[in-house]
Amino acid sequence: MRLAWPLPTFPARSGAIPSDSASPVRAPGLENGVETGLAALRAPSLVRRLVILAAAWSLAVLAVAGVALSLFFSQAVMARFDDDLDVTVNGLVASVPAEKGVIAAPPITDARFGRAYSGSYWEIATADQSGLGQVVRSRSLWDRALDVPPRELVALASKPGEIVHYNSVGPMEKPLRVAAMQARLDGVPAPVIIMAAADRSPVNRDVRNFDTTTALALVLLGAGLIAAVVVQVQVGLQPLFALQRAVTAIRTGRSERIDGQYPSELAPLAAELNALMAHTQEVVERQRTHVGNLAHALKTPLSVMLTEASQQGGPLAEVVTRQVQTMGQHVDHHLRRARAAARTQGQGESTPVCPVVEDLSRTLEKIFRGKLAEVEWTCPEDLRFRGERQDLLEIAGNVMENACQWCAGRVRVTAAPDVNPGGPPQFMLTVEDDGPGLPPDMRSEVLRRGARLDERTPGSGLGLAIVDELARAYGGSIALGASGLGGLEAVIRLPRAET
Amino acid sequence: MRILLVEDDPDLSRQLKRALGDAGYAVDHAPDGEEAAFLGETEPYDAIILDLGLPKIDGAAVLEGWRRAQLSTPVLILTARGAWSEKVASFDAGADDYLTKPFHTEELLARLRALLRRSAGHAAPNLSCGSLRLDPRAARASVGGEPLRLTSLEYRLLHYLIMHQDRVISRTELVEHLYDQDFDRDSNTIEVFIGRLRKKIGAERVETIRGLGYRLIAVEDETSNEAREA
Repeated sequence: MRLAWPLPTFPARSGAIPSDSASPVRAPGLENGVETGLAALRAPSLVRRLVILAAAWSLAVLAVAGVALSLFFSQAVMARFDDDLDVTVNGLVASVPAEKGVIAAPPITDARFGRAYSGSYWEIATADQSGLGQVVRSRSLWDRALDVPPRELVALASKPGEIVHYNSVGPMEKPLRVAAMQARLDGVPAPVIIMAAADRSPVNRDVRNFDTTTALALVLLGAGLIAAVVVQVQVGLQPLFALQRAVTAIRTGRSERIDGQYPSELAPLAAELNALMAHTQEVVERQRTHVGNLAHALKTPLSVMLTEASQQGGPLAEVVTRQVQTMGQHVDHHLRRARAAARTQGQGESTPVCPVVEDLSRTLEKIFRGKLAEVEWTCPEDLRFRGERQDLLEIAGNVMENACQWCAGRVRVTAAPDVNPGGPPQFMLTVEDDGPGLPPDMRSEVLRRGARLDERTPGSGLGLAIVDELARAYGGSIALGASGLGGLEAVIRLPRAET
Repeated sequence: MRILLVEDDPDLSRQLKRALGDAGYAVDHAPDGEEAAFLGETEPYDAIILDLGLPKIDGAAVLEGWRRAQLSTPVLILTARGAWSEKVASFDAGADDYLTKPFHTEELLARLRALLRRSAGHAAPNLSCGSLRLDPRAARASVGGEPLRLTSLEYRLLHYLIMHQDRVISRTELVEHLYDQDFDRDSNTIEVFIGRLRKKIGAERVETIRGLGYRLIAVEDETSNEAREA
């Protein structure tokens, strides 16, 4: 066996034994909270991370899709609009009469060209370097003209016979779409520009309507996608949350290991955690055994020294006796500490209370045979202590022994579930005797470690202080009071395991 | 008075032998479990001081062996292990007292005196009913050689029943004989204790005779069961 394994460090409480008094005291959890906050900033939650990533990608895709859809739609609508204008232009080209160089109005029967400002227009004009010359236009234009911007004139001149489209402004400031073509007419020396135009606003309105509808649909789709992602992440990460709860349950002592089926990604982690816990438990157990062995091995030499000292007598013997007793206390103290170390593992053990009370009653009846006829005990069958049997034995044993020691003949032990609103479930173990009792100012004294009110019977004075220490380690308490039987009443509160 | 001291530490053994000798006892010493088991069963000791952590055979096993062999010599356990679980186990195995190291010699002697006084006070022979045995000297009972774990009241109840096993005992009679005068007890609690006793010795051993009371029944089969299992 190697000697180099690390010794456990125990959280120390102030007490009579000086070796521990210098140990640090844990500060309350304020800085702990701050740390958690900072950590959250540095490492955002997995859920948030996944949701933000998925949402950003979905929203980008949706935005691009929206813009593309809108462009595609308006282009398609415009192309169709332009096609209609082209038909009119081609019709005009084919039907415009020109006699002796003079352009006459073509015989177009469409009523829209006759009604003023109807929204459908045409115009035929000769073009020269300075601009438009001789002009014939539809009645619908009334007193207005379709003008050709110089840039378009150049474009038309460069591509005779081809239709050019452009936007313009027409009567009543309506947006117009114009299709124009430069052509040559028989008998007209100058090139002629034939234009057809239509009010663009209905198309614009259609495009706007389409854009609005599409945007709305896409926003709804986006919201739906994000919601789906949130649900997916929550459901997908559920096993992770379950694992976290399982680990918490182990730490708080509600279970002993991680059970249940986990997905293939988490199963190894759960197995590793179980193995780690088993390992830790084993290490603690081993150290506990070592400390126990050491402590017990020391006790026989201590006995030898004590006996030798008492047989020799004299001043040296007195010192030895005193020191041996102190050493004995140290040994006992560290034995309990070693046991406490294993307990902080929070293994989810539970112990039925009844058998423990019965075992102790039976044993104490034998120890105090002749003085005490019977320990009167009552305990509900299903009451369970959330902790180790050995610790409950130690807690109840010391209190009950103390009661038996001081009683005049009666000891009553009552175990019952305790109402602890807002707190964890507890039970109450009440031990009463009919002895001399303890004045109120002595009651806190007796719970202090190392205090010995009963100097006559060695080894007994520490009993209640040990109980106090053990009960606190379990988050419980011991309170001393006056019993209805006439003596001391000790009320111990300990965590109850729910069945 | 002849004492058997079972202790493996030579220094402590020497000291205790001297102290016990000075106190007027004749002391035999056994340094290991094997010798202790042999001496305990063959020599008529008045009391035995037994260390639990022994070479060869563990002290607890030695004690159990003695009790199984119906040896009722009072035994004082002397051990470094002072946890209650160990005390309970030792008393259930048949110990009569328990002293934790380190101890004062005076205390050991005082405990030993008390033990001897107590065992001298009872001289009644062993009682039995079928495979059920009760040793009033040591206040111990067993079924088929297996020691029973009885509380004081359960023991008294069984003692009374086994002493009067030839007849039916009423609840009132039990109340009168089991409790002191000071206690005003409801006779219903007797039913509770009969129930507990039945759980420990086997329900068929205590017969309820409706309207009259209880009677102990001699049952032998536990022993034959044990034999079969062995």
